[in-house]
Amino acid sequence: MQHSIKDDYINSIRNYTNQFEDNNFRSIACKDFKSWPGPRDETWRLSRLGSLSRKKIKPIYPNLKKTNNTSNLIGSKIIHFVDGAYRDDLSSKLPSGVNLSILSDSESLKYLQKIKKSNLSNHPSTNISLSCTPSIIKLTVIKNIKVKDFFEIIYEGGEDSHSVHPVLYIELEENSSLSVIERFNHLSSLVMPLQLTELGNKASLNSIKIFNDNKKTHNLSAHCINLSEKSNLNSFSLIKGGVFTRSETHAYLNGCGAKLNLNGIYISGNKQHHDLTTAIYHDVPDCTSKQIVRGVLGGKSTGVFQGKVRVAQHAQRTDGQQMSKSILLSENASANAKPELEIYADDVICAHGATVGELDDDQLFYLNSRGVPMDKAREILIKAFLEDMINQSVDNSLHDFVFKEAELALSLIITKETL
Amino acid sequence: MSLLEIRNAHLKLDGKNILNGVSLSVNKGEVHAIMGPNGSGKSTLSYMLAGRDGYGLEEGEILLDGNSLSEMEADERARSGLFLAFQYPVELPGVAGMSFLREAVNSRRKFLGEQELNHLAFVKEVRKEASKMFVKDEMLKRAVNVGFSGGEKKRFEILQMAMLKPRVSILDETDSGLDVDALKIVSDGVNDQRNNDNAIVVITHYQRLLDYIVPDFVHILSDGVIIKSGGPELALEVEKNGYTGLINAA
Repeated sequence: MQHSIKDDYINSIRNYTNQFEDNNFRSIACKDFKSWPGPRDETWRLSRLGSLSRKKIKPIYPNLKKTNNTSNLIGSKIIHFVDGAYRDDLSSKLPSGVNLSILSDSESLKYLQKIKKSNLSNHPSTNISLSCTPSIIKLTVIKNIKVKDFFEIIYEGGEDSHSVHPVLYIELEENSSLSVIERFNHLSSLVMPLQLTELGNKASLNSIKIFNDNKKTHNLSAHCINLSEKSNLNSFSLIKGGVFTRSETHAYLNGCGAKLNLNGIYISGNKQHHDLTTAIYHDVPDCTSKQIVRGVLGGKSTGVFQGKVRVAQHAQRTDGQQMSKSILLSENASANAKPELEIYADDVICAHGATVGELDDDQLFYLNSRGVPMDKAREILIKAFLEDMINQSVDNSLHDFVFKEAELALSLIITKETL
Repeated sequence: MSLLEIRNAHLKLDGKNILNGVSLSVNKGEVHAIMGPNGSGKSTLSYMLAGRDGYGLEEGEILLDGNSLSEMEADERARSGLFLAFQYPVELPGVAGMSFLREAVNSRRKFLGEQELNHLAFVKEVRKEASKMFVKDEMLKRAVNVGFSGGEKKRFEILQMAMLKPRVSILDETDSGLDVDALKIVSDGVNDQRNNDNAIVVITHYQRLLDYIVPDFVHILSDGVIIKSGGPELALEVEKNGYTGLINAA
């Protein structure tokens, strides 16, 4: 059989979960894994996993001794994952009002049931990561606590021919708030992060994710978000690493007056494939969702943005905006944008737009006519294209850091494309 | 030797002849006005001089200080001292006015073999020139031309001219979209930069601008050739009798 490598992988996971009872969350998740998504699966049609099937991989057994603290940490409170396992010894002591716990088997089962209610129920990271994660880590911010420290969750470790499975649960109780930056810096062949985020009434979360895994890594991130009444999530993702990175987010606006910003940038070069897939479900009236996505692509890279917005029949007065723009710097790069609006309510404001193009000739000429050489003019315009958007979506204190991270990725692409 | 010399310039766009043998000599210290009806080739002439892609000469030659511009890209021409004030200045979202000016000025200074200005000296210089053009700090922090009014865009163009200190400036319909007050500010800004070592070419439809920026020579462009040249009185003749009479007489 052609797909024996994939079968070996799944078989090793089945062998592992066999030691648990049938009603254990790991056994259930493993049984639910039917197959890897193929080209016939509509949401994976533009992001094929073919190259993954040719790799020999197995889930990693976390090495608890290794302390490869390689990332330059920037948060004032650190939560550290190595090989997908939470590392208490490398993490900060948390301020009062914030709890970190490892879910018990029965709590893990509830976690699985929550994810299974979402459209991520068949995502490979859901079933595989729940089968073989070292443990599910829960971060809770207690009611009315506004956390001043800015949290950094760092995901590291892994090695070639292995897969890594961090599973996280973030809960912000009523009227609490938190700012988090998550950074994915894995070395493994495959990373399958799974996350559930729940915001209580009036809770507010600022979230930044930076995907910067090793250049051979496949990252299949799956994230389910539930927003309650008047809660607010401001989220921004920067995808720049890995050979294949797909960040899939499903956000459910379940409480009236909830607000969601779900913005993202991908910067892709060489043969990288970057995919930002999102689905936003307006299930109640008076919610707002805004989405800005930008992509810069060079080399033979491919970018994908799939953005679904579904407005249920009774979700009146929904305000949903979505805009994606990509710039191609090379003839061999390609960008795919698939916005989808499904609107069943009649009193809504929804808009979406998607453009893919090259840098604007008029703008380049204007800069040239002021003495700025072509390669510098291109660099200025590309940076402006992203900075504009980073300014809008990232908190001031982190703006410089995020922009520098973007600049680093850009510099690799721009020099290649203009030489 | 002329500062700017255009010799028998021919240019086609999409297979259509636009410039059909334009010749013009501009000496140091002179202001020339090029007037002409719609479609006479005025804007094409300015893009051709500035070196826009697709506006290369079929035939003829342009020289700046005796050096041929034909083989130079737009950015090289600008660094050599050619400046085009745009009829429709282009918006650059995300590029702040101040950093844009800095990039432009430093490119020019580098070409002239001068040291790049340090941040403080640069800001001081910008503020000095900006105040003359009634350009406030707040406007320099904004993205270039984004959300600027017609007057603000043109004032920002002339501020760039003041900062770059070009040898030859081409002002393409700088009066379009300006009210009387803005026209006065912009013209004062241009006049302030006239000296015996540079030259200005004003391209315009109307005589009105030439009341403020008084030219030494006026040329009438029609169908891609200069059909008549004269002093400022030629502009008044156009104002009085229109272009038709002049074109028919040519």
